[in-house]
Amino acid sequence: MANTKTDEKLQKIAKDLLESGEVNLIIGYTKGSNPQRMRPVFITKPEEVEKLSFSHNAVQDLAVFLKKQEVKKYGKIGITVKGCDEKAVNSLIQEYQLSRDNIKIIGMQCNGVIKQNLADKGETKVSETTVYDKCLICQEHTPVLYDFLIETEEPELSLSGNVKPYADIEKLDELSTEEKNAYWAKEFDKCIKCYACRQACPLCFCSRCIVEKNMPQWIDTNSEEPGNAQWNMIRAYHLSGRCIGCGECERACPVNIPLMLINEKMARDVYNLFGYKSGLDINAKPVFGVFSENDFNDFIK
Amino acid sequence: MSRIGVFVCWCGSNIASTVDVEKVREEAAKIPGVVSALDYKYMCSDPGQNSLRNVIKEKNLTGVVLAACSPHMHENTFRKAAVKEGLNPYFVEIANIREQVSWVHEDKERATAKAVDLMKMMVEKVKRDKPIEDVRVPLNKKALVIGGGISGIQAALDIANGGVEVVLVEKEPSIGGRMIQLDETFPTLDCSSCIMTPKMVEVNQHPNIKLYTYSEIEDVSGYIGNFKVKIKKKARSVVEKDCTGCGECWNACPMHKNVKSEFNLNLSERTAIYVPFPQAVPLVPVLDRSVCLHFKKGGKCQKCLDVCGPKCIDFGLQDEIIEETVGAIVAATGYDLMETSMYGEYGYGKYKDVVSGLQFERLLSASGPTEGVIKRPSDGKTPQTIVFVQCVGSRDPEKGVPYCSKVCCMYTAKHAKLFAHKVHGSQSYVFYIDIRSTSKGYEEFVRGTMEQDGAVYLRGRVSKIYEDNGKLIVKGADTLSGNQVEIAADMVVLATGVIPKKGSDKLAQMLGISYDKYGFLTESHPKLRPAESSTAGIFLAGMAQGPRDIPESVVSGSAAASKILGLFSKSEYEVEGTISSVNEATCVACFYCQRVCAYNAISRKEIKDRNGNVVKVVANVNPGLCTGCGACVNACFSKSIDVKGFMDDQIYAEIKSLAV
Repeated sequence: MANTKTDEKLQKIAKDLLESGEVNLIIGYTKGSNPQRMRPVFITKPEEVEKLSFSHNAVQDLAVFLKKQEVKKYGKIGITVKGCDEKAVNSLIQEYQLSRDNIKIIGMQCNGVIKQNLADKGETKVSETTVYDKCLICQEHTPVLYDFLIETEEPELSLSGNVKPYADIEKLDELSTEEKNAYWAKEFDKCIKCYACRQACPLCFCSRCIVEKNMPQWIDTNSEEPGNAQWNMIRAYHLSGRCIGCGECERACPVNIPLMLINEKMARDVYNLFGYKSGLDINAKPVFGVFSENDFNDFIK
Repeated sequence: MSRIGVFVCWCGSNIASTVDVEKVREEAAKIPGVVSALDYKYMCSDPGQNSLRNVIKEKNLTGVVLAACSPHMHENTFRKAAVKEGLNPYFVEIANIREQVSWVHEDKERATAKAVDLMKMMVEKVKRDKPIEDVRVPLNKKALVIGGGISGIQAALDIANGGVEVVLVEKEPSIGGRMIQLDETFPTLDCSSCIMTPKMVEVNQHPNIKLYTYSEIEDVSGYIGNFKVKIKKKARSVVEKDCTGCGECWNACPMHKNVKSEFNLNLSERTAIYVPFPQAVPLVPVLDRSVCLHFKKGGKCQKCLDVCGPKCIDFGLQDEIIEETVGAIVAATGYDLMETSMYGEYGYGKYKDVVSGLQFERLLSASGPTEGVIKRPSDGKTPQTIVFVQCVGSRDPEKGVPYCSKVCCMYTAKHAKLFAHKVHGSQSYVFYIDIRSTSKGYEEFVRGTMEQDGAVYLRGRVSKIYEDNGKLIVKGADTLSGNQVEIAADMVVLATGVIPKKGSDKLAQMLGISYDKYGFLTESHPKLRPAESSTAGIFLAGMAQGPRDIPESVVSGSAAASKILGLFSKSEYEVEGTISSVNEATCVACFYCQRVCAYNAISRKEIKDRNGNVVKVVANVNPGLCTGCGACVNACFSKSIDVKGFMDDQIYAEIKSLAV
């Protein structure tokens, strides 16, 4: 539930930023019409800061709005971010989509957000069985980079070890290539090519996505095979070494394709092979933008 | 509507014996858009080219496909023929059915099928070709030579004599490189300094050469015709223009012990302020601040300054960065000797009288630590027996390097010869694996060492060297007689293998040129472009490329120079038009392309509205630097960058042509 003290701090910071002209826009959360939901809000006037709020229902990654032209035109922007979402801000800076000088990061300490479907059913307690898998593996309950930090008053997330995040990754790893293909063929079969995954992703910032390139048409546009697999795999590859694991693609997917299994698997592979984790350092070179002589090359036969 | 002509070459029997060329021709004729299909015995011959030109003219072709040999061979030939008929040269495509088909396959039926496929792909590609204009890059007619050894000096002199300005940068306090360390040179035994110093002086006096010694390359950016070079001129502590080279300072320096002379390879000592050798060019000393008492003891000692007539010693001099813009670069960074620590059994470093070949050169040299009298480092006695060990590190994949260092056979023969000449009645033994003496006068020279100068050549390796009662006991094998040999020697000379100069890999990275696994700079083509690096405008010379002797180094210096003079004889440089181009409408400026570009060819470009406001930032390709390698194309998420002549739609059509 929204905590008054947290909200007050947040509103004060936002007010100061807007009044001093340090930012022209604050992107934050506000209470939704449904008490168990929060929604994004865009504040441009100091007198509107009271709308700002934060809670364990703040599931959205607001960094996605930073790629929008409508937002970019405000120039200097303040943004409310959880630790996971903040990594997207870092990645955007790393990839020249955002200037550090133009962004004020209001970092929200967070001990996990409650899965939306559970919240809708009335769940109000943050626990290892109620939060998203990303919260269970989260190393950034406190954002890695911020201009302001608002500490959480939620109790620390206690992990018993009984709930295994992204457990299906290990299960899939056990399968043969054919079995894996069959699993994903079934999942991708559901895809309706709505591209909600892309729209919800803070790092899918291309103005013309590869799926929209039609000279030549790299990806079949109809929502059936092989186009579905083409789209989903290319999306995954374009995010490998970049995805910061906010999970918005999976949350946005109307047909419940477990996209985070792919994203998290990719992130683990990238970490194992290159020792790189995305979104942690605005000065780091993105892993697929660098060549090192030590890069593994066993695949060259 | 495409009007394509397909020409299938037999290459005599090279292609025709494995590929059914008539079948390829028949299949070509069936493809929509192909208006003419021919096969001919030698398409590259004059009649072949004429038939190509005739068909272009008669059928008004919009594109040409040659199913023939590798485009490396005759692409240019056919492009030129097409240009004569008014076709853009990039409307000529080659399906390589020789190197990629007939030479590598045996089954005629399947080889023919593959040849047909390759031909089809090229037909689809040529249908989508667009005219491409070559890029013209203006040239700054000034050259940079990195390294003042014999090959760098030769390159600098040749370029300068051709009327072009040269900037010569040398890391050490003097030019001269390794050659000036040598005594007499094989096979003619002319003294190295006698033939080297005139060249060094010529460099110093040449109006077209600007010489920076004790300087290093700090940064290189830009591209052929327009390289921006930052040179770090290290603080010499001596004002060069005022110094007369009189020598008062180094004579006055109290630090005349304990500092080993790098030039004499630690066989003698030098002062803190010093010239490496008497004929140094420029004859201006360097103050070694790491050992100078002035710097170590808080400024008390200034004996050199006290005696300096022109007062040109300046303890406060700082490193200086000099910027130069040049159109071409020669990398002549030279070599070092390998470490021999992995041959513990030879005792190098443990026994004073086990020396390297280069150290022995200094012992032979009249300007060396013993003024040319051969004396053992341990006790200064003249050795009567010397054992020479060849291939120390070279040709030893286990401990050293697999390659041959090339010069050791010859200089060992020379050492043995000079030893015989200088110490009458002496005896030398040479352990060798093979004798490599293939240039003019070399074999005779080695024979002379054996037959006239009495050197005993033993084919085999040395297993152990140890000291016993003032002698070095050398144990080895004579594999020709099958005997174990034990020689009591006064000295041992190891013919240590050569390796690229330390730091040359870093320089290569700065220059954006490639090097092999040992660090030797690699040629654009090992046989046909031996003076060119992989990057346009950067040329190679000397030992930096691999082991070679003085004549070869001189030749390579001249070769690099002639390439540069040829390049500068035109007002502009023409670059192939098959380079990357950015779709500015869809580029989102994430600059992954810039990150993966090995040639620094991509920069930021701001698109402004008519009021000068930046509306968009996009990637921009520098045509002088882009090689069309395509790394950026792979890195681009939105497919907003493409290589002209290899556009996405062309590649896609090629692949699709295979799906029947």
